[in-house]
Formats: sequence, structure tokens, C-alpha cells
Amino acid sequence: MTPGDLLLISLAGMVGGLLAHRSPRRWLAATLVGAGAALGAAVWTLAGGGVWDWQPDFRLGGELVHLHLDGLSALFLALLSVLGAAGSVYAGEYWPDRRHPISAPVGRVWWNGLLLFMGLVLVSANGLHFLIAWEIYTVCAYFLITQERRKPAVRQAGWLYLAASHFGTLCLFAFFALLAVHTGGWDLKPMRDHPELAPLFWLALAGFGLKAGIFPLHIWLPSAHANAPSHVSAIMSGVTIKMGIYGLMRFSGWLPTPAAAGWVVAALGVESAVLGVVFALGQHDLKRLLAYHSVENIGIILIGLGFAMIASAHGQPGWGRLALAGALLHVWNHGLFKALLFLGAGSVLHATGTREMSRLGGLWRAMPWTAGLFTLGAMAIAGLPPLNGFVSEWLVFLGLFGALPAHPAALPAAGHDPASWAAATAAILLGLTGALALACFVKVCGVVFLGLPRSEAARQVHECGWRMRAPMLLLGALCAGIGLAPVLFWPAVACASAVWEPAWLADAPAPAPLLALGAFHLALAALATLAASALWHRVKRNGLARAGTWDCGYAAPTARMQYTAGSFAGTITSWFDWILRPHRHSHLPRDPFPAQASYEEHTPETVLEHVVQPAGAGVMWVSNLVRGLQHGRLQAYLFYLLLGLAGLIVLALMGGGK
Amino acid sequence: MMPALDMALRLAACLLLAPLLPGIINRVKSWVAGRRGPPVLQLYYDLAKLWRKGVVLSTAVSPGHVAGPAVAWVALAVASLLLPLGPAGAPLAFPGDALLFVYLLALARFCTASAAMDAGSAFEGMGVVREVSYAVINEAAIIAALLTLGVQTGSVSLSVMLAPPAAGAGAALLAAGLFGVLLAENCRVPFDDPNTHLELTMIHEAMVLDHSGPPLAAILHGAALKLLLFAVLLAKTVLALTSLSWLATMGALGASVLVIVVLVGLVESLLARLAFRRVPLLLATSFLLCVFALLVAWKGGRL
Amino acid sequence: MTDTLNLFIGLAMGLNLLALASSRLPSVIRAAALQGMVLGILPLLIEHDWQWMVVLVSIGTIAVKGFVIPHLLRRALRAANIDREMKPLIGFVPSLLLGAAATVGAVALGGVLPLLPEHADSLLVPGSFATVVAGFLMLMGRTKAISQVCGYLILENGIYLFGLLLINSTPLLVEAGILLDLTVAVFVIGIIMDRIQKEFDTLDTNKLTTLHE
Repeated sequence: MTPGDLLLISLAGMVGGLLAHRSPRRWLAATLVGAGAALGAAVWTLAGGGVWDWQPDFRLGGELVHLHLDGLSALFLALLSVLGAAGSVYAGEYWPDRRHPISAPVGRVWWNGLLLFMGLVLVSANGLHFLIAWEIYTVCAYFLITQERRKPAVRQAGWLYLAASHFGTLCLFAFFALLAVHTGGWDLKPMRDHPELAPLFWLALAGFGLKAGIFPLHIWLPSAHANAPSHVSAIMSGVTIKMGIYGLMRFSGWLPTPAAAGWVVAALGVESAVLGVVFALGQHDLKRLLAYHSVENIGIILIGLGFAMIASAHGQPGWGRLALAGALLHVWNHGLFKALLFLGAGSVLHATGTREMSRLGGLWRAMPWTAGLFTLGAMAIAGLPPLNGFVSEWLVFLGLFGALPAHPAALPAAGHDPASWAAATAAILLGLTGALALACFVKVCGVVFLGLPRSEAARQVHECGWRMRAPMLLLGALCAGIGLAPVLFWPAVACASAVWEPAWLADAPAPAPLLALGAFHLALAALATLAASALWHRVKRNGLARAGTWDCGYAAPTARMQYTAGSFAGTITSWFDWILRPHRHSHLPRDPFPAQASYEEHTPETVLEHVVQPAGAGVMWVSNLVRGLQHGRLQAYLFYLLLGLAGLIVLALMGGGK
Repeated sequence: MMPALDMALRLAACLLLAPLLPGIINRVKSWVAGRRGPPVLQLYYDLAKLWRKGVVLSTAVSPGHVAGPAVAWVALAVASLLLPLGPAGAPLAFPGDALLFVYLLALARFCTASAAMDAGSAFEGMGVVREVSYAVINEAAIIAALLTLGVQTGSVSLSVMLAPPAAGAGAALLAAGLFGVLLAENCRVPFDDPNTHLELTMIHEAMVLDHSGPPLAAILHGAALKLLLFAVLLAKTVLALTSLSWLATMGALGASVLVIVVLVGLVESLLARLAFRRVPLLLATSFLLCVFALLVAWKGGRL
Repeated sequence: MTDTLNLFIGLAMGLNLLALASSRLPSVIRAAALQGMVLGILPLLIEHDWQWMVVLVSIGTIAVKGFVIPHLLRRALRAANIDREMKPLIGFVPSLLLGAAATVGAVALGGVLPLLPEHADSLLVPGSFATVVAGFLMLMGRTKAISQVCGYLILENGIYLFGLLLINSTPLLVEAGILLDLTVAVFVIGIIMDRIQKEFDTLDTNKLTTLHE
């Protein structure tokens, strides 16, 4: 069973599912077979460290087909298959045929198309086919996002996504075309020995960065991920934005990069991480908040990648490997816990019908599974031990600390090393991001699941069925698994790292700290469970009574008096007012007596509102002016002809005079 | 066998000695105010009493209300195993354990904050908001302090970072910064008044309003443990403890922890709690002190 | 000797940040005064043989910057009847962070500039840049005239610090001249502020912008 056979089975499964879209069961079976086969191929490649390369003799679009599966592609392919499978099972109950008789079957077609063409992007080694697959999956994603086309917000989100994605694809067209011109063909392979290709990296950064959602190119991300159906949001946040990361990693590994590239990537990573989480704190829409956290985590991945690029340029494998390993592992970890969070948010939306956090509350009572698994995902994304988010952030931190001067004696010389200054700044800002993420997820879990219900929608809720619970359980188990036994996943990460930088050996053993960390996490998890049960036991033994929450003697406390999403984040968002620029509408009572009052705060997307829309308005203004030239009067057109002729004469005279 | 015994002994020592510190602080405050004050062992009596009491749970809370304090306590207890005590080093040490230490504190914070939000009250919400907001700046300060120690020693393991002798202006700056972080993380004046009875002015106290009995005992003991951890960290940052015998090292460490705790008591007695809008300024000052310590370590080549 | 010098300059840089973070005007005046005194001692540390001129200028600087100017400012403070900066244009935490960033940047810049070997290790150049930027921050960020005067004083301290680099070639008479200039300026500003307060009953520069007609 070579990876080629498995990939063929996977292709057959996906296409079969696409054809069987009218029957949910057959579609699910075919899609799961496809996902499983792809996972098998990926695991085979990662475990064996081999490379599968297939160059058959037929042409597609004028170019020879060339498929290539190595460690880096396999890592992303494995993530794609796991999340694809989870999302497929989830969609069966979340977007059932009886509630959406038209969009559900059609959605299944687009779903399989998305998975299939993302897989093709990962294995393509020909620039033209890469672009074709890239464009097709973007269009599939558009149709998936706009499944609820009746709502204007969804239509706007889809349009923004399409416009932004095509801007990125335009940059990628330019990138691949220039690459083809310089290398004489569309074939992609390691091309480190062509230094003239280095400036093309900036085009790749723009194109792939837009897809990945780097701040300020992320403007499409919040609305698209918030308005899409939850399983689509999960796959988009989990895998689709990682396609941008895949492109950046692939082409920074295969192509030479400019000297400043590592610095720019690291700087973009740091600012995406901090600004992403700051914007997330300002949101009160559950899925929009999760979308901004994707921006933050992409930032963390880019910090690792950027510093790995700096290390590779300076020839320092020690800490560079750790930073890269952190970035690669975070790709996986973020895919897992973000998908878990989106599926949980989908369950909440499914039960309550609203994404507005300040109308929810107390959901744990009726939805214990969703609450527990969402909290698990929240702890993972906040980077808390013993879960997987901590492991990848820890690896990135180790890489950054490793960039500091290695020995006290080396300090005077190394004091002027810019990489160490940058690493220190990045480490402080990464710590800041972690604390902000913790604050944000305490807010989400506390406001949505804990406390008391704030509205009728939150009171009449029911737990989701097993088909929605099972994918969440799988993802939660994987999060815990990677956290408790990170050493098991190290070989995969090392294999992918070796593809990126062949000089860094693949079979170097796992760094010893990882083993110790895993053991520590196991002990921590065991002790925590033990302590919690011991404390419950003691409480039961001592005697348990119930009473109302302490209200300081207030006569009429209500559930609406609890902290809302906006008030929770109020302290921190006031520190960042300068970039968040929230819109506040308040109607406060003036008289001494209680009266009706309202207060509303909304944080729009600043880059969209203050940069892109004014720029667009400017372009429209200029276009309107220019349109004035086209008014239909024949006399004026004749005048234009005369003007043009006069201009040509003047030019000719000037040129002839020389 | 010996390492396991050593680990158990250290853990037991930390757990047993921790409740002494709030007692000493209260004694110092009473002395400054001219009162007799509660006995130094008061927290031990309180913990024993709470452990035997029944619990009144709010009707709004989930099982996380009891599980949260337990997990937070475990996180803090396990973090104490990562701190080195003199030449004996730490029971558990590996590269990167300094960051694990910081994130274990974050885990404890998440658990207590979630347990507080459970009660569905605006008072707890107030406390949680302030706690997690100020933690943002504290985290930056702690990472800056770890970077300073890392630049100094070239390692990311607490056992190595806290070993070498410290001297000079850089150590003074780092000590001042870490002292500010200690006061903020342990909810002491001037960031939070542990004796206030006004819910609108509480941070830590507001978060535990609805806890009672054994979970409250776990929280109080955990808070004392956190104070011990920060005091030991601060003491080890400024003292040169490697060149002495084991007994002398323990004695010196104990004496410096005592000095730090007495200093906390004096600060509590002599300063007033800051208005909440001024707190970020003071937190930013501690952060900047740590950053300047980093700068001194970098530029000077020595701390 | 360089260590003691660096300690004093470090103290002066710390006083910058103290002035930027304080909202109470007496504290700001005290910080600027203390900084002036600390910097006044520096010529005694740099010059190895103490001529009577050096000692005289040093004592004069300490006296004027530490006592005379603050006295004038406190008199103006009493006349204007204010003691706090309530609504600065740049908030206290941002100005503190900006001042700290300027200090770090100044240290980095000092490492890159081509200095003489005897100045390469000392904090003279970074300290002066940081103090100048801190003075500018106070001038730009505050609305009360007295805070702006203190910002001007801190700016002058920074320039003075930079001038110490040339202590061997510039006659100290120039330093004394600058000091006289400073005293006269503050004296005149004190009189003007008194007049403004009497005439318009406010020293808030936000309100004074309507005078431009």
C-alpha cells in the first residue's frame, strides 16, 4: 500500500461522496473513507520519513501533472483529513436535510469539493495546477459560506471573502507566473540556488498572507467565519487559513528568501498576535470572537516561522529548530482546538438560535457536554498546561529564549545582535498575548456557559445529539492527547521540519525537555482529577446546602445584572481604544429617579472601516469624476480626438527636436 | 527512592510553611497599628475549621465551583516543586520549566476565575474582570524578569536561572520590579486590600464571596502558597546562595523570605490602596523596572 | 568613576520617568529640581582636577536648578491655585511607556553612534537623548502651563548633559551663561503666568488657544 494507492482511494472516496450528495448516509460513508485514506497516506509519509513523487505522462491544462507528498504536505494533509471527517459527521445533524432541503445536499457537493481541492493544493508540485486547485477551493468555500444566502450579513460576508481572496490569488498568479518565467517552467521543486528569485517572496507573502489572515490583511476573516455555518467555520479556521501557512512554509523552504524576510514575517506575527486578541476581546458575537482568535494564533505560528527563517539565515539550528517545531505543532494544535471551539459554538447556536453572548448564560445545566468540551478547548487555546496549546507555545518560547546570548561571556559581543533584541521583544509580547487570550476565554466561558440565563433563548436549550458530540469528543481527546504525550508527535514535526530546512536533521531525537514536560503534564492531570474528586467527596461528607448567590441584601437581583461580554472586557478594551475605535450608543437617565436606559457598544473591523472603505470610497470618487468624460455627446468626443492629435504632434515635435 | 522522598519532603515543607506568611503579615500590620493582633498561626486554625465545615453552594453554580479551587491548588502545589531551594536545586528541573511555572500560575488563575463566574453575580464578575485585566501587565513583567535571568545565565530552567550571585543596579531594579509583581499577584495593598468589606473595592475577595468550607480552605491555602512561591522567587533573585552549606542556605533563604513578608506587611500598613484607575500606572512601573533590569543585564554584561 | 557617573545618570533617567508618570504638579517640580541637582554634581565627577571655576559653576547649578527655579515655580503654583494635571493630551500610562521606549531607544542609539572610547561605556549620550525626548513628551503632552515649564527644564537638563561631553573644550563660562539664561526665562515665565492667571483666571492652555485672534 503506497501513499499513491491510498491517495487514489481518497480521491475516489471524495468524488464518490460528491456524486452521492443526495443521500446523506452514502455521502458520509464515502467521505469518511476518503478522509481515512488520506490520513493513512499522510501518516505513512510522516512515520516513514519517505517522499512520494508521481509524474505520470499526461498533461492537464498544457502542463505535466506532478504530485509530491513529503513531510510538510503530509502534516497538513493529516490535519485536513481529521477535521474534514469531524466536520462531515457534525454536518449531518447540524445542517440536516429536513431543515435545509436545498442547501444541505448542495452544501455537501461544495464540502467535498473544498476538501478535495485543498488536498490537491497540498500535493501539487506544478505551479499551474496549484493555482487551479487554489482557485477552485476558494470558490467552493464561498458557496459554503453563503449557504444562508437570505441574510444580508451572510451575503456581505461572502462578497468580502471573495473579493479579498481574489486579491490574494492575483498576487499568487503574479508570483507563480514570475517564477515560471525565471525558472523556465511551471514545475515546483527546491530551487535554493537561484538567488534572483528572492524578491518574489514578497508577492507570496501578500498572497498567502491574505489567505492566512495576517493582520491587516485579515479583513475578510471575522465576517466570513462568523456568518458561515459552524462546520464550515471549523474547517475554514482549522485548515483553510493553514493553506496560507502551508504556502509560506513551502516557498520559504524551497525558494531563497530576501534577508529581511524573516524579520518581516516575525514582526507581522507579533502584531497579528497582539492585535488579533485585542480585537477578539472587543467582540460580543461568539463566532466573530473565535475568528479573531484565529488571527492571533496565525500570528503565533508566524512568530515561530519568522524566527526559524532568521535562524536559518544566520545558521543557528539550535533554537531555530525549536521555533519551527513550535510553529508546525501550533498549526496542528490550533486546527484541533479552534475546530473544537467552533463546533461547540455551533452547538450553542443550534440550541439557542443566537450568537450574541450577552443573551446567553447558564448553558452548562442543559448542555453539559458542550460546556465541558468548549471549556477544554478554551483552556487549550489559552495555552494552559496540561493541554496541547501550551506545548506549542512553550516550544516557540524556547526558541525565542534560545536566541538570547548563549553564554554570559559572549554578552558584550552579542549585545548588538539584533536577533536577540527582537527575540526578547517577541517573548514579552507573546506572554502578553497569552494573558489577553486567558482573559478573553474566561469571559467567553463565564458569560456563555456559567452563571444564570440572561434571556428566554438561553433558558429553552437542549443538548446536541451524538452526531454533533462525537466529533467534539474526538477533537477534545486529541487536544488532551497531544498535551499529555507530546513526545509521540515529535517525529511527525521533525519530519516536516527536515523538509523545510534539510540541514536540520530529521532523526535528531526529541529534545529531552519534551519528555519531561509530557511526564509533568500526566502527573498534573492525574493529581488535578484526584484533588477535584477528593474535594467533592469531602464536601459531600461535610454536608451540602443550597442558597441563593450573595447579593449584598439587594432586593431584586436579576440575571441581567451579571457581567456581559462588553463590560467584562471593558477595562482592557479601554486601554486599546486607539485601535479598536468602538461605536458607543448610550441613552442614560438624567433624573434622580430610575428610568429606562440603554447602552450599546460595538467594535467594527478597524482596518476595513478606516483603511479599506475610505480607500474604496476614494477610488469610487475618482471613477465618478472620470465617468464624467463619458456623457454621450458627439461634439465632445470629436474634441477629445482633436486633443489627442494635438498631444501627439507636441510629442513628435519634442522628440524630433532632440 | 531518594529523589521521591526529597520531592515529598519539599512539598510537605512548602505546604506546611505557607499559611505562616499571611499570619506574619497580619502581625506586622497589628504592630504598626498598635494592636495585639491575631496569633501568627491564625490561618492554620482557620483552615482546620473550614475543612471541617459544611458547604453552602449557590443554586446557580456548576460542579466547576468545587473542582476549580481543587485544580488551582494542585497547579500551585506542583509549581512549588519547580522552584530551586539553594544548592540542592529543584526536585523537578528541565529546560523551559520557568515558562511552565508561569503558565501553572495562569492555570490557577483560570480555575479560580471560572469558579467565580459560576456564581452568576455581578460582584464576582467585578473581581474576575480586575484580576484578569491586571494579570495581563503582570505577565509581561514576569516574562521580562525571566528574560533578564535568562540573559544573565543563558538558560531557561529556574534551577540554573536563580543560581548565580547577583549584584549591582540591575539586581536592585529586578528586585523592585518583582516586588511590585508580588504585591499585584497576591492582591496586596496598593493593588487590593485583603481586609476590605466593600464588594465594589475588592479583587481577590470578591472572587471568593460564594465559596465556603473545604473549597474556601483550598483557596486560602493556595493564596498563601502563591505568596510563598513569589517570596522565594524574589529572595533567590537577589541573594547569592550557592557558596554556602545546606543549612546556612536554608537559614538565609528563610530569613530573606521573612524580611520580604515583613516588608509586605509594612507596605500594607503604610500605604493606601490605589484607586483602580491608577493601578495600571503602577503595574506599568513594575513592568518597566523589569525591562530596565533586562537592559542593564544586556548592556553591562553582568547584572 | 564611570560606574558612579552611570549611577547618577541612571538616577536622572529614572527621574524623567517619574516626572512623566506624576499627575501631581509639586511632584513634577520636585523631580525636575532633583534631576537638576543630580546633573549639577556631574562636572565635579568628570573633571579630575577641580579648578575654582568648576566648583563655582557646579554649586551655582545646584543652587539655581535645585532651589531658585523650583521656588519660583511653587510661587506660581500657589498663585494659580492648582495642584494636579487632570486631563493631559497624552495619558499618564502612554507617556510613561513612550518615555521608557525612548530610554531603551536612546541606549540602543548610543551603542551605534561613533563615540570616543572614553564616552563609549558611559550613559552620557543615551541619558541626554532620553532626557531630551522626555522633556519633549512633557511639553507636547500636558495642558497645564506649569507642567510645560517643567518639561522645558527637563529638556534643558538633557542638552546640558550632552554638553558635558565637551567639558574639556567648552569653557564653563558657556555653561554658566546657559544657566543664567534659564533662570531669567523661568523668572519671566513666572511673571507672565501670574499675569495670565490674574487676567483670565485660568492657566489651562486649552482655553488659552482662543487668544490667537
